Amino acid sequence: MAEALLPEGLREPALTDGAITLGELDDRVLSVPETRPPAKWFAAFALTSAISAVGLACIAYTLYTGIGAWGNNSPVFWAFDIINFVFWVGIGHAGTLISAILFLFRKRWRNSIARYAEAMTIFAVICAAIFPLIHVGRPWLAFWLFPYPNQRALWPNFRSPLLWDVFAVNTYFIVSLLFWFLGMVPDIASMRDRAKDPRLKFAYTALSVGWRGSAEHWQHYEKAYLLLAGLATGLVLSVHSVVSFDFAVSVVPGWHMTIFPPYFVTGAIFAGFAMVMMVLIVVRETMDLKHLITMYHLEVMNKVILGTSCLMGYAYMMEGFTAWYSQNQFIHHAFKQYLWGAYGWAGWTVLVCNVLIPQLFWSSRLRRSYPSMIFVAAAVTIGMWFERFVIIVMSLQQDYLPSSWRLYQPTLIDFGILLGSFGIFFSLVLLFARVLPVIATTEVKAILPGYQPAHGGDHDRA
Amino acid sequence: MDNKISRRRFLGLMGATAAFAGACSRPNRGKIVPYTRRPGTVPGAPDKFASVFPEAGRAHPVLVVTREGRPIHVEGNDLHPDSRGKAPLRAIADILGLYDPDRLRQPLVDGRRSDWGQALAALRPAFDAARKSGKPVLLMTGATSSPTRRALIAELGADLPLSWVCWEPACGPQERLSLEHAKVVVCFEADILSGEVPSWVADFAKNRRGGTLSRLYSIEGGFSLTGSKADHRLRLKPSRAAAAAMALVRALSDPTGAGLDGFAKENGLSVDLLRGLAADLARHRGAAVAVCGPALSAEAREAVSLLNAMLGAQGRLTARSPEHAASTGLGTVKEALEDASQGKFSAAVFWGVNPAYSFPDAALWKRALAGVPVKARIGLHVDETALECGLVFAENHWLESWGDHESDSGFLTLQQPAIGPLYDTLQGEDILLRLFSGAPRPEYRLYLEEGWRKKVYSTGGGSFESFWTACLHDGLLRREARPTAAPKSRPRSAKPSATPDGFELVLSPGLAVFDGRYGGNGWLQEIPDPLTKQTWGNALRVSIADAGRLGLRDGQVVKVDAGGRAVEIPVLVSEGQTPGVLCAGLGYGRRTGNVARGVGTNLYPLLDCDSTSPFLLCGVSLTPTAAVVDLALTQGHHRMEGRDIARSVPVAEAPRSREPRNIPTMYPAQDFPLHKWGMAVDLSMCVGCSACVVACQSENNIPCVGPEQVRRGREMHWIRVDRYLLGEGAALRAVSQPMLCQHCDDAPCETVCPVNATNHSPEGLNQMAYNRCVGTRYCANNCPYKVRRFNFFEYTADKEEPEILAHNPEVTVRPRGVMEKCTFCVQRIQDVKQIAKTQGRGVRDGEVMPACAAACPASAIVFGDLKDPVSRVNSWSDDPRGYRVLEEVGAKPAVTYLAELTNPLEGEVRHG
Repeated sequence: MAEALLPEGLREPALTDGAITLGELDDRVLSVPETRPPAKWFAAFALTSAISAVGLACIAYTLYTGIGAWGNNSPVFWAFDIINFVFWVGIGHAGTLISAILFLFRKRWRNSIARYAEAMTIFAVICAAIFPLIHVGRPWLAFWLFPYPNQRALWPNFRSPLLWDVFAVNTYFIVSLLFWFLGMVPDIASMRDRAKDPRLKFAYTALSVGWRGSAEHWQHYEKAYLLLAGLATGLVLSVHSVVSFDFAVSVVPGWHMTIFPPYFVTGAIFAGFAMVMMVLIVVRETMDLKHLITMYHLEVMNKVILGTSCLMGYAYMMEGFTAWYSQNQFIHHAFKQYLWGAYGWAGWTVLVCNVLIPQLFWSSRLRRSYPSMIFVAAAVTIGMWFERFVIIVMSLQQDYLPSSWRLYQPTLIDFGILLGSFGIFFSLVLLFARVLPVIATTEVKAILPGYQPAHGGDHDRA
Repeated sequence: MDNKISRRRFLGLMGATAAFAGACSRPNRGKIVPYTRRPGTVPGAPDKFASVFPEAGRAHPVLVVTREGRPIHVEGNDLHPDSRGKAPLRAIADILGLYDPDRLRQPLVDGRRSDWGQALAALRPAFDAARKSGKPVLLMTGATSSPTRRALIAELGADLPLSWVCWEPACGPQERLSLEHAKVVVCFEADILSGEVPSWVADFAKNRRGGTLSRLYSIEGGFSLTGSKADHRLRLKPSRAAAAAMALVRALSDPTGAGLDGFAKENGLSVDLLRGLAADLARHRGAAVAVCGPALSAEAREAVSLLNAMLGAQGRLTARSPEHAASTGLGTVKEALEDASQGKFSAAVFWGVNPAYSFPDAALWKRALAGVPVKARIGLHVDETALECGLVFAENHWLESWGDHESDSGFLTLQQPAIGPLYDTLQGEDILLRLFSGAPRPEYRLYLEEGWRKKVYSTGGGSFESFWTACLHDGLLRREARPTAAPKSRPRSAKPSATPDGFELVLSPGLAVFDGRYGGNGWLQEIPDPLTKQTWGNALRVSIADAGRLGLRDGQVVKVDAGGRAVEIPVLVSEGQTPGVLCAGLGYGRRTGNVARGVGTNLYPLLDCDSTSPFLLCGVSLTPTAAVVDLALTQGHHRMEGRDIARSVPVAEAPRSREPRNIPTMYPAQDFPLHKWGMAVDLSMCVGCSACVVACQSENNIPCVGPEQVRRGREMHWIRVDRYLLGEGAALRAVSQPMLCQHCDDAPCETVCPVNATNHSPEGLNQMAYNRCVGTRYCANNCPYKVRRFNFFEYTADKEEPEILAHNPEVTVRPRGVMEKCTFCVQRIQDVKQIAKTQGRGVRDGEVMPACAAACPASAIVFGDLKDPVSRVNSWSDDPRGYRVLEEVGAKPAVTYLAELTNPLEGEVRHG
């Protein structure tokens, strides 16, 4: 009726593809745990588990012999360990942005992808949390970073950004976990109702914490969800800002820059969206969810990637400008090293992968094509990892006194642990896909065409 | 074999008083007299013993610090004028040699462990045969400064036919210098500031602080520490050094100096500079001295001698070392070995020399060994020579030995053991005493006492016992020995020597491993070479021009060929090296020893036995190979890149006043109620010898990490000597800057530690609580001076006896995963404060001396209480030359550096 008069651009976007009924949605999404995973899944899981095992073995070796098993030295006391930490924490931010911030902004296109994105946040934070634990020289004493009552009357040092990290990352993990879990409760309850296998039924009964779907339950649910979304929103901006303080608060030239908090947060969203987009491509193809995770979703995410890429380009320019404007010889030198130093190739990799390649997404055809999407996502992931390499290793490698300048060389153990973290991440992703509801069915049901209460006439057609 | 030393036996090793003598099964080893008079040993308080570190015919007076009866540290003897109170680097490091796990623990007979009865019984027949047949015994020893040992060997020579060859493989003729009153010093290929003779560095440094500075010229082909510090450096091939000295001689007698211009032009030197040098020497007759390096030819030595005679320095500022301290040339050794190969000796005893490693002609050595029926090695380790000798006599370490020595200026100095022999070993002299014919001789300690009673002690000054005790306490006899006559110099015009084709190679003993005897000492292997900052190996220093021409890069292995003798060694492209000149260190490439084996390249095979100056090789060719070696360097970048780090100013431009810099800070000012410890380092006096590094390692139980870890950048030295190059080409010099924890008031490391493991003490020290550190390494990242060290692996816990006996019990050893750094020797500060408190007084200025300050031969490091208005550190810190490194970072370091003063010739001196 009335919508036929609206121009194309103002109409409700097609959030789903084709006609789907509520029952079909449930069957499609919630029946996954009841079925045996396909052979492909087992093959993939075997691969990621093997890679994780390699990583865990490398970690065990490090715990046994010492940090010397890595490439860290003087002056590069932090290298792959902190690069990986920042990398993974950053990746988690996309999920929280999608599920929390977009929720508050009432962007309904997030509904079908929020669950998976949030899950990826949890797994990314788990991967990230490994690193502060294993990178310390005496990991069996790492609990000293927590302020617990002790007989020596010792507090940790609250002025240290590493301690702020402890609070920030823990808060992030706990809030995200609660948020994610809360959101899943109604879906798990559905799975509980559908489950035939007694062990699955038992598990889902426990996890669904007595959800009955009553109006009272829904009221509590909506309020709690809103509150947690609000909390998580702040965390998107604060957590990576706090992580950036590890660097910004120090005196190292190249680290001591006020641009770091917004620069890091933008970079986190950038890297996270690329990773989420890559995973969603795989999910929608392998789990046959193309009509729920539509090309529209992917295109929107690509637009975000393009936007944040431009912001990153701006940030790099501002870094360069600030380095020049500061008239500080140490920062001048640090910045020149980024592009023309011993690891200058890393600096150029960052520029090309983060700023140049995502510009492909100006073309709408490329925004909707799998090869270009995967290419850009991979480039962004590599570029963002190298950006942390450039920031951490290259600034440390040549700081104030030239007598301590030295090259850094990673070892196989470093690479093993990096690879292993990817293995752990994707193992968890694969497990999640088979065990828990990958799409927030209740939220999607709210946006399925034809199923919203309307005042007269069925005019909700995308 | 019992590897550990049982507690009971250990107590028995303390040779202090007779009360303990009953606890052990050995005969009375005599009384050693501690430096601080105390009845017996007080647990927890150190005892110091005056002794001597004898090396290659030079005697260095030292104090041995012992705790609970075992030596833990070696420092200088401040009562001894010759040493100026400082011990050389190798003396400090050789404490590790006492506890070397590779040491021989009992004599070996044909490779099997034995005892002294059997071992000596295996040698006596050969000695008896010598007495009967008249075929002498070959005794090859190192040079010695001990008159009693010489007397003993002379007595042995009367007892049986003996051929005594005294040989130091890496040392040329030695000099004795008195630089205190020298205003102009010219060094011909002589590295007088290397720290090997601490008194030279001390005397030089005294004249560099202010007032009228001395002036140092260095004429050399390489870039030595002396050249780095020199006010003017002339790059000259070593083969031309004789001609240079003669040109100066002629210029001194002929004021027009016409000959100088020609010489300068021929050799690419600046005419102005050479004229200026000649004029300077002429102006300072009587207060100028020329020094000839040990590698140069006899011709050069004579020329320099003549120059000294004209300068009036002969006999006053310079003298030749006494005859006994000299070693024979390679030629004499070669003759002896040829005699040996012809069967002219009934036995050979090698004591203190390792010819299987250091004699250049390996084929002759083999033939020589084949011609001697019985061969014995008196030594500390199973080294290359010991492997080829049927009898290996395990020797005492110098810390376990008695002796007397003539020091440089003729003082007689006593060496007393600081600990009884750890193993079943004997002093070399004792072994010889047991080989005499006839009635058994007394042990060497008694022989020494007897000798002194007869020859040194005079009845005028009380009983012999009190005289002996006083000498042992002080470590010296305050009596001049016979002065050595100044050698006569024969004026002779120098024959113009043809400039040979090919490279000139100058070989010198490594500053750390010396002639190779210390190859098993991990500390010495890991001390960065002061010039190249290389550890664990040697490299051939090549000039940039030559490297470019031959396409060489750092670490590339080249084949060095000197007259048919060739070795392969990696190169190091060195700025400052004269084109056409190569330099390298001897003492590497050992074949035995767990630590020494395979480290570096043995360059002894290059020496020419028939040359009178074997350490200078001419006509050397270089052939690059494809192999590249990763050199273990601790410093890779030697330019300051325009940063204000180590200041060096000509004395004319020295600052007259100092304005305090106002660096804004958001931290509140700290209150230091009682003491505020601070340090000042005078870069004018520091020569870069790195004795401070070894002393710190010895005092603070700093682990040795090995070459692989040094390559990765994980060396653990708490203090390092940074070396920065200034200028270019012929005007190149280098400034050395000791860099240690600055104990910043607003330390960047303290704020960022998440567990509060590092914090500031109320006396101004930045403290490190090892047991709280979890090892996040944020503090090290945030340190702008990068002086923090991390234990990347477990370096210490796996150590066993005897290595751990070298540890200083006052300092915690750090486990894996923990950060460590300089503490300003807080254990010494606490000790002094406690002593002062028990005595009811305050701490006196200069009472606290951190290990680095105590070891520095130049006394360039001063430590003290900044709150004490009359302390030296206060006046040094307020010096107009003073500044702080990286002050703009705002960390408020407690270490003030005093800018180096250079003293170039006034006026325009264009460098060639």
